[in-house]
Amino acid sequence: MFPTLKTGAVMQYPAKKTLLFNTDTIRFLDGTEQRFRDNPSILHQWTIQLDLLDESELAALDQFFISNQGRFGSFSFTDPWDGTAYPNCSLAKDGFSFQLKGEMRGKTTLTVCENRT
Amino acid sequence: MIYFPQLSSGATGQFPIARQRSARTVVNESWQGYQVKLADPAAAVTEWHLSFDELTDQELAALEALFQAVEGSLTPFTFLDPVDNLLAWSQQQNQAVWQADPLLTLTAGVADPMGGTAAYQVSNPTAATLTLQQSINAPASLDYCLSLYARSDESTQVWLVRGSATTAQAIGPQWTRLTSAGQLQDTADSINFGIALDPGATLDVFGIQAEAQTTASMYKQTAETGGVYPNARFQTDTLTITTVGPGRYSCELDIVNVEYL
Repeated sequence: MFPTLKTGAVMQYPAKKTLLFNTDTIRFLDGTEQRFRDNPSILHQWTIQLDLLDESELAALDQFFISNQGRFGSFSFTDPWDGTAYPNCSLAKDGFSFQLKGEMRGKTTLTVCENRT
Repeated sequence: MIYFPQLSSGATGQFPIARQRSARTVVNESWQGYQVKLADPAAAVTEWHLSFDELTDQELAALEALFQAVEGSLTPFTFLDPVDNLLAWSQQQNQAVWQADPLLTLTAGVADPMGGTAAYQVSNPTAATLTLQQSINAPASLDYCLSLYARSDESTQVWLVRGSATTAQAIGPQWTRLTSAGQLQDTADSINFGIALDPGATLDVFGIQAEAQTTASMYKQTAETGGVYPNARFQTDTLTITTVGPGRYSCELDIVNVEYL
C-alpha cells in the first residue's frame, strides 16, 4: 500500500490526476482518418506533490521507493478523488528525491501510474 | 577509516539537504501497453547535495583534508547520512543485523506509540544482564545520538548502549522517548547501539534510531539499509570554497554512493 501522511491523506493540493488513452490515427490522402485503440482501456496516473513533510513521512516514502525498487514493484493505489482501488500500480520513475529545507519542511514529488493488466 | 567529518556542532550537514535515490529497471513494453519489468538492485545510486554556510577554519580544514585524502572523486569514504537512521531494520529486531544475547526473548506485533503494531516486547528471563544490539561500520569517535521509545507495565529501567557507554533510564507504563548522546574516546572503526535488560525485566521497545549528531531527530524507519554508506565518493573532482569573511566560509558538495563500484 502507498504510504499515507500523518493526517491520513495520500496527496496534498495541488493534486493532479491524468487519464490516458492510446489512440492510433491513420490519415488518408483525402484527409479522412481511421482511428483505433492501441490499448484496451483507460489508464490513470497521479502526480503527488508533497510539501511540509516531516522526517518520518519522508522516511516512509523513501522506504516505499526502496521496497518497490523504483518502478519495478507494483502495489494497490486508492484514487483519492473517488476511492476506487487500482490493484496494479507502480511508481512512474526510477528516481526519488526530496529536499529538506529545515525540520519538518521536506518537499518531494512522486508519480504513480496504473499498469496494464 | 576515511570518513566524512562532523561540524563542530556535531552535525554532518546543514539545511537545506537534498537526497536522491535512483534505481534501474529494465522495461520491455508491448504495443498494447503491457510491460515486463526486470529490477537491477545492484545499480542503485544515492546522491546528496549538501550546502554549508558559516564554516569555521577548523571545519573547512577537515573538509579540505578529506577531499585531498580521497583525491576528489577517486577513492571512497564512509558517509553517515545526516537525514537517516544509521541502523538497519529499525522495526524488525528479529533480523540478523540485530545481535540478541541467547535466551533474550523477542515478541513482534506489539502496539507502538505511533498507533501501529511495530513495537517489540523484549524479555530477559535469566539472572544475567542481556543485550540487544546492532553494530555499524562507522568511526566510534564521532558524536552519536541513540534514541528509542520504551515502556513497561512495571516501573523498571533499561540500559541504553552506545558503544562503550551505557546509561540506565527509568521507564513506566507510558511510552517514553529515551536518548543517549555524546562522543566517545574510542578509535574503533565500528560502534554498537542497542539496549540492555536487567535480570527479569520485560519491556516494549519501538523506533530504535542512531544518528551522527548530538540530539535526536524525528524517528525514521529503515529496512535492509541504514544510513551508513561505506562506498561514498565526491561527485566531482572540484571543491569550490567561498570565503565570506575572516574565518567564515561556505561551500556546496555533491556526494554519491554507487553500490556497484
